[in-house]
Amino acid sequence: MSQHHIDVFFSVMPFLLQGFAETLKLSLVGVLWGSVLGALLGIIRGQQIAFFSPLIGAYIHILRGTPFLVQLYIAYFVLPNTGLAWLMWDSQTAAFASLGIYTSSYVTEIVSAAIRAIPRGQWEASFAVGFTRMQSLRHVILPQSVGLIMPSLGGVYVNLIKATSIVSVVGIAELTRQGEISILRFPADILYIYLLVALLYFAFCFPVLMTVDWLERRTKVGAKYGTAVLSGRLEAAE
Amino acid sequence: MKRYLRLLTAALGLAAMVVGQSVAHAADTIMDEILQRGELRVGVQTQGAPVSFVNKDGERAGLAIDIARMMADDLGVKLVLQDYDWKGLIPALLAGKFDLIAADMTPTAERTAALLFSRPFFYQETVAFTTTDKPYTTWQDLNVAGLNIGAVQGGTYVTAVKEFLPETNVKEFASGPTVAQALSAGRIDGALSDLGNVRGYAQEYDNLKLLDGVITREPLAFATRKENVHLKFWMDNYVELISANHKLDRLLDYWWNTTAWQADHK
Amino acid sequence: MLELLGQQIVPIYNYRIVLQYADEFSRGIGNTLSAAAASLVLSIAFGFLLALIRLSGRSWLTYPAAAYTHSIRATPLLLQIYIVYFGLPLLIPATGRWSEVVLGVIALTLHTTPYMAEIIRSGIVSVPRGQREGAIAVGMTPIQQYRHIILPQAFTNTLPPLLGQSAILVKDTSLLSLITVFDLVSAGMLLNSERIRPNEGFLSVAVIYLAIYFVMLMLSRVAEHYLAGTSRKARTA
Repeated sequence: MSQHHIDVFFSVMPFLLQGFAETLKLSLVGVLWGSVLGALLGIIRGQQIAFFSPLIGAYIHILRGTPFLVQLYIAYFVLPNTGLAWLMWDSQTAAFASLGIYTSSYVTEIVSAAIRAIPRGQWEASFAVGFTRMQSLRHVILPQSVGLIMPSLGGVYVNLIKATSIVSVVGIAELTRQGEISILRFPADILYIYLLVALLYFAFCFPVLMTVDWLERRTKVGAKYGTAVLSGRLEAAE
Repeated sequence: MKRYLRLLTAALGLAAMVVGQSVAHAADTIMDEILQRGELRVGVQTQGAPVSFVNKDGERAGLAIDIARMMADDLGVKLVLQDYDWKGLIPALLAGKFDLIAADMTPTAERTAALLFSRPFFYQETVAFTTTDKPYTTWQDLNVAGLNIGAVQGGTYVTAVKEFLPETNVKEFASGPTVAQALSAGRIDGALSDLGNVRGYAQEYDNLKLLDGVITREPLAFATRKENVHLKFWMDNYVELISANHKLDRLLDYWWNTTAWQADHK
Repeated sequence: MLELLGQQIVPIYNYRIVLQYADEFSRGIGNTLSAAAASLVLSIAFGFLLALIRLSGRSWLTYPAAAYTHSIRATPLLLQIYIVYFGLPLLIPATGRWSEVVLGVIALTLHTTPYMAEIIRSGIVSVPRGQREGAIAVGMTPIQQYRHIILPQAFTNTLPPLLGQSAILVKDTSLLSLITVFDLVSAGMLLNSERIRPNEGFLSVAVIYLAIYFVMLMLSRVAEHYLAGTSRKARTA
């Protein structure tokens, strides 16, 4: 570590931290609305209703079958060309929307798989005591699914945090973008600055990963099932 | 079957009409729209000093930025800058994210076929650079089969490599600094960029040097969507105006022809 | 009728322009698929090694392995690619002249190996203890145990997540365009920058990725059916 590296460190760090805050904001908004959307779709898909389940299946496949980079470009540059006012998003909205939709595809799969993992007998028992479908879901099925859902969700959130780095290509000043802007000032320190950026991501993601692992160990079922979902298991789209 | 197809074509036709109409609607209002909303929205890239970069205080600065700021001030509206990757600039303009592109963009035949360009604001000189351990002295020396030459993706430097160094392989990078780094690390044998950038790289990296000779001199202009005719004429007139009162010359001297800006921004 | 439909689509998506770029697109698809295939084979091989290290329980092996796994999982692939691309020549000067595809494959392999290791590890763990004990009882060496008893059973359990990870790998290659590999995204970008047609550029890329994904989905279905059939037979036999 030479004097030069220390100088560069102090002159780029304020900007990197600013970008870090933006990354935090992007991840939080993406997590929040991606989870809400994903949970809703997942609960519907978990019921295996004739028309909706295949439709949601198609939604998941389209989002899983294309790189996030390409989804982002389409949200930014193709949707506005439809000429429809409600699809003309500004940069921030487009970034939030595409991150949330990307997250929702994973959350949907986790939630619906967790609901389907609850034995049929549970449904039958709740119907037997006179619960409606909604009541069974609320009081019997969902409380049991939560244990299965939580560890897998953690992994999805780490993926989302990392996916925010791709938003840098459309000029949102998040951590990676701030790194690139700093590199313009110190072109010769490109590797050093990228390493600093990587360290900041690590500081953010590592605690989340540790929590996920801890949750997985605590719920043994979750561990087995969680790895299957996290590894991007190609689920049937029935 | 036939009925369904007819229905489908009708629906598609309707969709095309809706698209067409909304575009036509925007056409005669862009200048009014700018004044009404009190904002001039400008798309820029962050490719490095002296055209467009972020200075030591974290503020956007550069020749293109100063011209855009002057435009907004003279119109009496607020300047809103939006930053994109080089390859995202034109798609974002077409998607209506902002009113015009203020970047070091050459009005090539292909681009002019899809966009409206202003008269050139300034000219740039495309030059070649290489590492100090190489024996080359002029850009022509690089034209050797098997050499790899770096340039920014989708830019006119790529075209210049293909045209003026036809023996070599072109390697396309996402940004200027990655080109310089790749060259310095020995991944490529030479690279093309504009004189201003190359001077900067040669200062930063001990092992990079500028090669003699100017490959091309390219006009750089601001762009807008093809329906924004009024804005295009306004920009042309603006070039005329700031050339006549020497405001443009002063900016060019500060950013482009000298390194005076370095004292304030570096 | 079809021609009429074509005329209506052209203003929104001009497929004729896309057809003019058929050569570029096929070159891009070729590079995308070969980079993905090479990284897949390498990351399964190294993932298997890493899984064995993690199962070995020797701390001088498991601690470095855990450090590697965590640093990969906690940082974006985009940065890993840049760090390999710019950093590797500093460590090993000879790699400076290697082609971008090779360096891209190295970065993708480094990134995918921990995920593969986890899939393989849980596959191996899923084989009941009794199977191994039985193999030891009939006097098999550790290599024989793996080859004849554990791996064939583990394979059946790991195939679906393995294919899922492969689908992710194919998508991850899209970032190689940033280090000058001419992949599928680059082909779309070329069309976009030469013809200024974002719809044609981006939508074509998306559709081709989807097509690749669906082929993999079909393969995974076929493989699952096939394995389900054979394993049932094996059990009844």
